[in-house]
Amino acid sequence: MTATAATREVERRFGAIAAVSGVTLEVAPGEIVGLLGANGAGKTTLIRMLLGLLVPTGGSVELFGRPPSRESRRRLGYLPQSGGLYDDLSVMENLAFVSGVYGVPAPDLGHLEAVRSRMVADLPLGIRRQVGFLAALCHHPELLVLDEPTSGVGPLARAQLWDTIHAAADSGVAVLVTTHHMDEAEQCDRLVMLSDGVEVASGSVEAVVAGMTSLEFGPSDPAAAMTALEDSGFCVFPVGHGLRVPDASAADIRLVLGEPEMAVATRPATLEESFAVLSSSKRAG
Amino acid sequence: MMIVMPVMLLVVFGYAASFDVTSIGVAAGPGAEAVVALLPEPFETVEAGAGDPLEALRLNEADVVVAGRPGALTAYIDGSELFTARAALQAVTTVAGQGIPIRAEVAFNPGLETSAVLVPGLAGLILIFIGSLVTSLGVVHERQAGTLEQLAVMPLTARDVFVGKVAPYFGVAALDLTLVLVVGSLLFNVPFIGSVWLLALGSVLFLLVTLGIGVLISTVSQNQGQAIQLAIMTLLPQVLLSGLIFPLESMAPGVRWIGYLLPLTYFNQVARGVMLKDAPLEALVLPIGLLALLGLVVFGLAVLRFRSDLAPSGRRAVAV
Amino acid sequence: MSYGLAGVDVAYGRVVALSRFDLDLAPGSVHALIGPDGAGKTTACKVLVGTRRPERGEVRRPSAHLVGYQPESAGSWPDLTVAENLDFVSRSFGHRRDGRIDELLELTRLRTARDRLAGDLSGGMRQKLAVAMAMLARPALLVLDEPTTGLDPVSRSGLWRLVLRAASEGAAVLVTTSYIYEAERADTVTFLDDGHAIATGTAASIRAGFQGVMSVTAECPEAGTFWRRGRNWRVWTRAGTAPANGTTVAPDLEDVVTAASMEPVR
Repeated sequence: MTATAATREVERRFGAIAAVSGVTLEVAPGEIVGLLGANGAGKTTLIRMLLGLLVPTGGSVELFGRPPSRESRRRLGYLPQSGGLYDDLSVMENLAFVSGVYGVPAPDLGHLEAVRSRMVADLPLGIRRQVGFLAALCHHPELLVLDEPTSGVGPLARAQLWDTIHAAADSGVAVLVTTHHMDEAEQCDRLVMLSDGVEVASGSVEAVVAGMTSLEFGPSDPAAAMTALEDSGFCVFPVGHGLRVPDASAADIRLVLGEPEMAVATRPATLEESFAVLSSSKRAG
Repeated sequence: MMIVMPVMLLVVFGYAASFDVTSIGVAAGPGAEAVVALLPEPFETVEAGAGDPLEALRLNEADVVVAGRPGALTAYIDGSELFTARAALQAVTTVAGQGIPIRAEVAFNPGLETSAVLVPGLAGLILIFIGSLVTSLGVVHERQAGTLEQLAVMPLTARDVFVGKVAPYFGVAALDLTLVLVVGSLLFNVPFIGSVWLLALGSVLFLLVTLGIGVLISTVSQNQGQAIQLAIMTLLPQVLLSGLIFPLESMAPGVRWIGYLLPLTYFNQVARGVMLKDAPLEALVLPIGLLALLGLVVFGLAVLRFRSDLAPSGRRAVAV
Repeated sequence: MSYGLAGVDVAYGRVVALSRFDLDLAPGSVHALIGPDGAGKTTACKVLVGTRRPERGEVRRPSAHLVGYQPESAGSWPDLTVAENLDFVSRSFGHRRDGRIDELLELTRLRTARDRLAGDLSGGMRQKLAVAMAMLARPALLVLDEPTTGLDPVSRSGLWRLVLRAASEGAAVLVTTSYIYEAERADTVTFLDDGHAIATGTAASIRAGFQGVMSVTAECPEAGTFWRRGRNWRVWTRAGTAPANGTTVAPDLEDVVTAASMEPVR
């Protein structure tokens, strides 16, 4: 089956700087693909090329099997980080405008009926994002592109927004979403991790973690321990009042910290830790 | 920028700011040639095709037309050119005082009111404010808020978005223009004796230019601060070099050419001509034509830039 | 001598940003302030450092030269180099050639970037520079507004190392964050929602105050109070009524916060 959206070795240079280089990814119907990476890693540039807002300087982009065009816009829904709504219009006015552009009936507001005539700027962020979702989905797109749809929102609202994402995927929509929350990344069918414009990992969560383990321990001086370990080239993550180091041996840790008797527990690495190890090895090698 | 700009402004406006009248075109009706030849500097004899003195003034063939029976000559002075008229009036009165049988009559704006001459141009200035400044701020704001990007991914053509964004400003500007002219006329007793349709034509063309400038500014501005700066840079020269305050003829040639590039210069000519003199289309062919040309160029450029700014990829295949 | 706020009210027009807000910051400890956008975290920071005067309430802070503050936006001058940025701050606080700048460059691992323009640095490095600038004068009170938002995981944890270091130097540190799990690293936590402190105390005490039982299920429950997290669902039940197909777990901060936001609080 043709992927709904695909890039092949796509590249975008701005002058001498390559914001994105050689990224290949695909999103199939019903799939949720998570795009991870720090701000400035190239996620937004990649998305803009996928949407047809930016022309690649190398490689190719395909939407529904062909290069992005005005026709393909009809079949995609986009929720930018800014929300995509007019702050000085009401919920109803925003939805009427969007559905009018696509030539579809205005969507059913469901539980948002209570705020239909409230101005978007006056609504709490969680509700605003829900309205944004409604607007992006009103024309039943085949591809949904979401740029940090849950940023700044509380945990309950985040969970509810992801319910909407899963519902869309379950009904066959291909979803591409960027996020900084690892627990959201875990919900994706596949992940693509970007660092400095380059793909450092891709595949399912299991494939990315690939059996990596982390060592967990509680040193007496966490701050000093972190410094010592980082100086020796390890990635270190504070956890509660202890530390975790992925992809390392207990002997090495004890040696660096000068604590041969320190208790060390082995745990499966988290997605965040895998990401860190993969990014730093890509940078080094 | 902070050093060069003020110096440049000083030099330019220093050469522009002058109320001195360097030449007054005077046409002689039959029998009046002898007297006209006696008129001192800065009067310069010109040919007038129209038979009727007022018609000649309407057609901008001369600033003053001397006609009538020898021994009872009247110098018809075009009151819509304020400083020229004042100078002419002064000169004619002096000449009459020396015994020559000539009297002055100021046609069009007989009271030589400054407001009559200023209000039409001011209406144009307000159009620039809305067309260039407010429009550019509005579009830049949308770009910053991200709503423009949202429009870019919808199945809308760049033209749809452009018209959708610009049309409201056009409507508001048209309303404002009407308001200003009506209020200005009533409050300051500015006459309006000409064709409303001609003024409307000139206004529409002028608006196209100013709106085009507004959109152009929005495509090169990253934020509202920049948009304001650029809009002011287009507004200031038009205030001072368009003939609104200082007559174009009085400006040093080295600076006058700038005035010939400004849309307000031509709108001013159209507005003054229509409102004060009931100027016919033939008299206004040049300013209207130039406004149309400017409109085509500026607006066209704005649409092109806006389109590429909004979303560059169309139906073309992507290069590998 | 603890710093903080007592009974602070702040309103912007009719919008209440903070309501009867208390905050206690002990020297040498890290306090995390968590909450969604618009909860009042930035307002609390501004009141604490003095850029916003509250309508009501008491603010306890040291004199200005002992306060270090990194606002949510940049915090460093993009057209100056790393070294110039630090030098400028150092001079503003009464230049003392005591090697503090070198110490911070080492700590933040920015030594090799000392002559690069701040504007050219990656997001993570710029944030570290901003925190370093706030730490430069060895402040008694250090306030960092969302220093980790938008950063990659490696930069995030590197930044926490700075935070822990500042506390070990004796500063009372306030960090706001949108990542609830980061709050688990702090000594004390306040959860803010809509201008009100929903929960406050050590992470352990907040968790201990949780009423009910948390379970994790792999399938979406048919009924009850539950929400999605990761690939599973977190189910919240009264004691003794945990779902059969679930595994009981100890509630973490995010559970407490999520449950709290479901209750009608006021």
